Amino acid sequence: MALFDPKGARAETRQVAGKSVAVLLAPRLVRRGFLHDVFYGLKSLLTGMRVTLPYGLTTSRIVTRQYPENRGTLKMYERYRARLTFIRDGQGRHTCTGCRNCEKACPNGSIIIETAKGAVTGKNEVQRFIWRFDACTFCNLCVYTCPFDALEMKGDFEHAVFDRRLLVYNLNSYAGPHASLWDKVEDEEQRKTLATKISPYDGKVPLAGTSMAGCPARAHGEGGAS
Amino acid sequence: MTVQAYTLDDLVKRLDPQATEGASQQYFLNLGPQHPAAHGVLRVMLFLDGETVVRAIPVLGYIHRGIEKMGESLSTRQFIHLTDRLDYLSALMNNWAVARTVEKAAGIEVSPRAEWIRTIMAELQRLQSHLLWLGVLGMDLGAFTPFLWGFRDREELTYIFEETIGARLTMNYVLPGGVMSDIHPEFAARVKKYVAYIRPKIAEYEALLSGNVILEERLRNIGRLSAEDAVSIGATGPVLRASGVALDLRKASPYGAYDKLEFQVPVGTVGDSWDRYWVRFEEMRQSIAMIEQLLGGIPEGPHMSVKPAVKVKLPEGVHYGQLETARGILGVFIAAAGGSDVPYRIHLRSPTFNNLWSVTRLAPGWRIADLVAILTTLDLVIPDIER
Ligand code: SF4
Ligand code: SF4
Repeated sequence: MALFDPKGARAETRQVAGKSVAVLLAPRLVRRGFLHDVFYGLKSLLTGMRVTLPYGLTTSRIVTRQYPENRGTLKMYERYRARLTFIRDGQGRHTCTGCRNCEKACPNGSIIIETAKGAVTGKNEVQRFIWRFDACTFCNLCVYTCPFDALEMKGDFEHAVFDRRLLVYNLNSYAGPHASLWDKVEDEEQRKTLATKISPYDGKVPLAGTSMAGCPARAHGEGGAS
Repeated sequence: MTVQAYTLDDLVKRLDPQATEGASQQYFLNLGPQHPAAHGVLRVMLFLDGETVVRAIPVLGYIHRGIEKMGESLSTRQFIHLTDRLDYLSALMNNWAVARTVEKAAGIEVSPRAEWIRTIMAELQRLQSHLLWLGVLGMDLGAFTPFLWGFRDREELTYIFEETIGARLTMNYVLPGGVMSDIHPEFAARVKKYVAYIRPKIAEYEALLSGNVILEERLRNIGRLSAEDAVSIGATGPVLRASGVALDLRKASPYGAYDKLEFQVPVGTVGDSWDRYWVRFEEMRQSIAMIEQLLGGIPEGPHMSVKPAVKVKLPEGVHYGQLETARGILGVFIAAAGGSDVPYRIHLRSPTFNNLWSVTRLAPGWRIADLVAILTTLDLVIPDIER
């Protein structure tokens, strides 16, 4: 008989904190003399071999994924949190009103929003939506909190750069009104003046564009893969 | 019972002042903070006589991040994402512990569906945590195969979390009032598939590990923790249950959907390393049984009862809530000044801190190799020890 008997566990009922609890008692291991132990030991080693050997023979059991070789076929789950982005409509317009709910919800100050009154609309418009990728913990609270469904998490995950400052950037691609404010402006000529294009590294984004000790200022596009 | 306290000075002092240099076998050794057999930055100062441990004192402070202090300037909803970083293998249960405490304090109702999601997620994660532990235990005791297998089977669970939650480790999913997002449409089918996959694997682990003579001899009778000692140290979870105390909050004060589930609490008989091993091993099977029962009936309803814009204000006073994580009882103390969603003080009673301390009772008299077996069966996650 084997020393370890998986069915050797005993079931019983115990009183714990005034409740009867069904417990399962651990089986005890016993030794039955030298000779028995030697044979049992040998047998258990062979059992181990029997369990592991088939893995060497059937390659279909291999589960390792070869990254980066499988980059072409690798698909992340749609909810995977890897990069915060604005949701944009067909014309590239976002729905962020600049209400700052996400800024307040963020636990570590990774979102900084600059707004201004629009000359045409007279309403709050996002000038810069700064996201500090380098400080973000991907808690998803900003996406969860946004009342206007302006934010989403994208699944692309290859973001390594050589300069941390390149991880601080503007999410919005233009400074101007959100989509529904935009639609309210009827005049064609006025519409053309609504938005000013900005690049991810425009403006006084913290760190980006300024120099640090031992690390000179860099323009957008520099430093990444070079 | 007497409590013996040592200072670090005692450790480096020789036990036998008469013994001359060279003739003495007594010396002092650091296990960690960087050591391949220690999980994370754990430092245990050992006073040894030859290879036998005379005293062991854990030294903390290598991964203190001030999470409790940060909690004093964050709303409880924001604080929850930091609890992922305590015992990261029980991240969802940590989230849940804070959420429950806040719900109880603020009187928030949680829908049955949200409770159902929380329970099945917690059990999936308990299984995941124990699988990782089993792999690392094999690795610590010199077997490499379980390590690969543990990670292989854990990975599948990680995909399940990834699909519904969007994160693999630091998930921030359970919020006061429910859970952040509803389960993915594929969730139930995937979990069902996983249960069918893992059952034969558990049998494989059993054949390879539980019945292996080397493993048995490395665990049997090593580091016996009596029930009295376990209780006096404040050990909880599998460590306490292995010593024969059947305290499991899922049974003793059911929360979530546990009162509707049928399961047994595995307990040990003498509290040695084997018992701690067996209790966790059996808990995996119990978790699988619970997951199967939960898949039987998914309640309909909302997954969240509090709007994201609503501040969850806490009434003035001290609030406490606790639940059973994969390592034991996680208690959350919240002292609130009232009228705000930011607590005045938040304190966490983490299971691993107390469990670690049992090493001071367990280690003396054993060899260093046995100490590794003792440490690995305590299932330590170092970031949980110091917040
Ligand atoms: S992203 Fe959403 S929450 Fe943040 S400012 Fe824009 S509209 Fe408000
Ligand atoms: S995911 Fe969390 S940490 Fe990152 S920007 Fe959003 S709220 Fe801030």
